[in-house]
Amino acid sequence: MSIDLTFIGQIVVFLTLVYLMKKHLYGPMNDMMEARSAKIAEGLAAADAGLEAKEIAKAEIEKQMAEARAEAQRILSKAEKRSAEINEEAIHKARANAEQIVASGKEELTAEVERARQALRKEVANIAITAAEQIVQAELDAKRHTALIEQIIEREYSQA
Amino acid sequence: MAQQGHEGGIAGHLHYWTLQFDQHNPFMQIHLDTMLMTIAIATVMVLFSKWLGARLTSGAPTGTQNFIESIIDFVNQTVKDNFPTNNPLIAPLALTIFVFIFLCNTLDILPSFLIGNIAGLFGIEHFRPVPTNDLNLPAAMGISVFILVLYYEFKLKPLHFCKELLFEPFTNLVPTPLKPIIMPINLILKLVEELAKPLSLAFRLFGNMFAGEVIFLLISFLLLSGGIVGMVSGFFVGLAWSIFHLFIGLLQAFIFMILSIVYLSIAHQPVEH
Repeated sequence: MSIDLTFIGQIVVFLTLVYLMKKHLYGPMNDMMEARSAKIAEGLAAADAGLEAKEIAKAEIEKQMAEARAEAQRILSKAEKRSAEINEEAIHKARANAEQIVASGKEELTAEVERARQALRKEVANIAITAAEQIVQAELDAKRHTALIEQIIEREYSQA
Repeated sequence: MAQQGHEGGIAGHLHYWTLQFDQHNPFMQIHLDTMLMTIAIATVMVLFSKWLGARLTSGAPTGTQNFIESIIDFVNQTVKDNFPTNNPLIAPLALTIFVFIFLCNTLDILPSFLIGNIAGLFGIEHFRPVPTNDLNLPAAMGISVFILVLYYEFKLKPLHFCKELLFEPFTNLVPTPLKPIIMPINLILKLVEELAKPLSLAFRLFGNMFAGEVIFLLISFLLLSGGIVGMVSGFFVGLAWSIFHLFIGLLQAFIFMILSIVYLSIAHQPVEH
């Protein structure tokens, strides 16, 4: 056990070895490991960001879906309301038309009845005149008989 | 070149293959076996690093790269846990200390006389294959770490370090007139404290490995000279000690690494006001 020149030689060997190990093993491997760690960290961060973006997109989709559902509901309600209004309008219109048709029909009927009554009256009068003429021809004054007959017809028709 | 000693027994196997430059100056010699083995291990480490460096993949690592990455990750984590600031030299230094000492220590589990006998074939009388059994290597590594500690102490907080050497802890406790008397004592004690760091680093590793080698030699003598019973018991005891010593080698490598990090970490600690 002695300290001699080997000691100096060992210092040289040791320090040279430290330098060469740093240059050829530790340096390149440590750089590569750090680069890999950075890459992994970057990937994890990107994955986290992706998850976050997915959550945001999911929330956005849900929000838009809710808005769309509300909009669809609003449109549906509006359509139902409009449909009810159109129905109501159509009913009103149909009812008015029907009333108008009925009124018109009644008027026409009244006019027709009136016309028929006038025609009938004239026809009856003519018949009566004809009859009276035949009677008068036989014995009576025509004017007097006509007046008499019209009076009788008027009374009869008024009662009818 | 001169070769030492011809004693028998364990002591006969504790000599180095030595090249002496001056017979009268024990410092002027070099342990060729230690130098050869450390250079061989360092060369293997560097060649392996270059080989692996050419095959690195930035994707999912497999096989050798995965194993080395797990070691680098372990060293990085240990440095990060103990170091207050970022210094790009500390982690490679710690990695080199850990791997280099572990590989040196692992040579101890080879059969005791194997490499010595192979060296004997080439006419080398003594050959000790485990470099950490030679105090020169642990001391060289301990002193290198100590020089780095001093460098960072003087670089990062020179005034604080000088103040600490002269005033902490005793000089500050005495009245002002006594301070000049206590200051040199404080300085001597602090120097002892600082020098104890590399010494403890070196002697802890050397002591453990040297004791391990002596026990291996004892077991091998038991195995070779104790008859059938001695051979059988020596084989099993040797096997158990090899496994235990492998663990000790790993543990000593880790302790040397972690203490080096801690000493350098203390040098990097910011000054508290």
